[in-house]
Amino acid sequence: MEPQLKRRKESENDDVDTWVALPVLSDQQSHDTKLIPAFAAPITDKKETSRLMKELHSLYPLPGLQHIKRVRPRKPADGLHSLEVLVCLVSDAPGIDLHSESLTIDSLLPSDGIRLNGLGPPFLVKIPACPPLTRPQFQVASKHWPTTFHEDKQVTVALRGELFSRPQKSRMQGYMEAALAAARAGGESGQEPVGAAMVDPKAEMIVAVGHDCRAGNPLHHAVMVCIDLVARGQGGGAYCFDKYPACTSALSPTSSNSKPASKTLQTMAEVVEEGQPYICTGYDLYVTREPCVMCAMALVHSRIGRVFYGTASNDGALGTKYKLHAQRDLNHRFEVFKGVLSQQCQDLYALKDPIKH
Amino acid sequence: MATESETPGPDEPPGFRPTAEDIEKWMASAFDMAKDALESGEVPVGCLMVYQDQVVGKGRNHVNETKNVLEWCLRKEADPRRVCARTVLYVTVEPCVMCAAALRLLNVPVVVYGCGNDRFGGCGSVLDVSSAPLPHTGTPFQEAVEMLKTFYRQQNPNAPRPKTRKD
Repeated sequence: MEPQLKRRKESENDDVDTWVALPVLSDQQSHDTKLIPAFAAPITDKKETSRLMKELHSLYPLPGLQHIKRVRPRKPADGLHSLEVLVCLVSDAPGIDLHSESLTIDSLLPSDGIRLNGLGPPFLVKIPACPPLTRPQFQVASKHWPTTFHEDKQVTVALRGELFSRPQKSRMQGYMEAALAAARAGGESGQEPVGAAMVDPKAEMIVAVGHDCRAGNPLHHAVMVCIDLVARGQGGGAYCFDKYPACTSALSPTSSNSKPASKTLQTMAEVVEEGQPYICTGYDLYVTREPCVMCAMALVHSRIGRVFYGTASNDGALGTKYKLHAQRDLNHRFEVFKGVLSQQCQDLYALKDPIKH
Repeated sequence: MATESETPGPDEPPGFRPTAEDIEKWMASAFDMAKDALESGEVPVGCLMVYQDQVVGKGRNHVNETKNVLEWCLRKEADPRRVCARTVLYVTVEPCVMCAAALRLLNVPVVVYGCGNDRFGGCGSVLDVSSAPLPHTGTPFQEAVEMLKTFYRQQNPNAPRPKTRKD
């Protein structure tokens, strides 16, 4: 399998510019910036800034909003002030008429709590309710009120679609092509045209390739087949897929190629030494379309390393209906990327026989 | 279940439910399986799939179970989809997200379980796969929680009163 793959990689290197693998991020990382209303006021005397910040903080500590900067600089359009301070949330000052002309700093602050020197007339602002987790979220949040931002550089690069180098993309493309070939073979034999390839990224080799076999068993989706083939290669597995020639496992007894097998055994030994003897620990899965919730949970149970898929699916559980890979209350989380050879994966749907489902 | 007709169609009416006696009887069997498993040092989960008062699948995980059911169907020359659509699954613990999705894909209409599964449960604990709008992932199923009354009566006088959840 491997030498053939390498030849293909070299000849089709240009294709890697036709697709981009984008990360499928958690809801927290991808939601729109939520805003909450608050009162701010200009600081008219800069010398009072640190005192005002201290006093306002003890009066209105803004719990849960540690990401919000208390003071923001303003360009002095009118030349009068260049700093603004956050006084309190609107919810901290109940009964204030937001649109009243009479909104004054006295109505927001108790007369004995703070010296008002240096504070101008308050006004309404909207501030980001959650800390920004990605650069796009930070950029939106910053338009409203400045926040702190602990940037995950890898996420930033991934969101730009620049996480993978050309040689990496070339290898990824080769793996997805193996999944696509299996999908086509499955489709030709009357199955749903879905294919999956399990890859050992350390050894840069394909461990198992499977396609959807749900016409024989409603649970034999491509990912389930592929995981079972991996298990079979490791001496386990519950099913026999010998009647499907495009479903293969590098370690299965029928495999004639022994070189990659020993490589994988070595990797498996490392995995066992590291104390994580799960079926797919450290492996990457390439699948032509987004897995359903059964397949996604099987990937959680088998401790998959990363998942790459071509196109989204209607009931998909790695981005569309759920983001199982980012589900906080599950005991394993992993990275997911979509878009690898997306057009070729999308084109598989044209093969679909409407009678089979 | 005895009153159900012998030749069911693939589309079961939504009211298909086991009787209280069925539930008690089969849950007791599932629980015995779990106890046996525990005594032999295995994961204490028992699970049965029952079709027309016969056990058609038995196991501690869905791979074995569904394999058994499909083999049973093959032996009886029955259509697995029809059989599954009239099969009740009894299990001591709430099925995980994967198994809940598998049960939907098999069109199993009713699942009875003994206790929730906070870590992996797919019938409301982690996700609610059993009733979620997933039109391409089989059919939603009804759930019943059966707290193994007999067990608590005999062995745990301090156990809370059993609760039943209808949907």
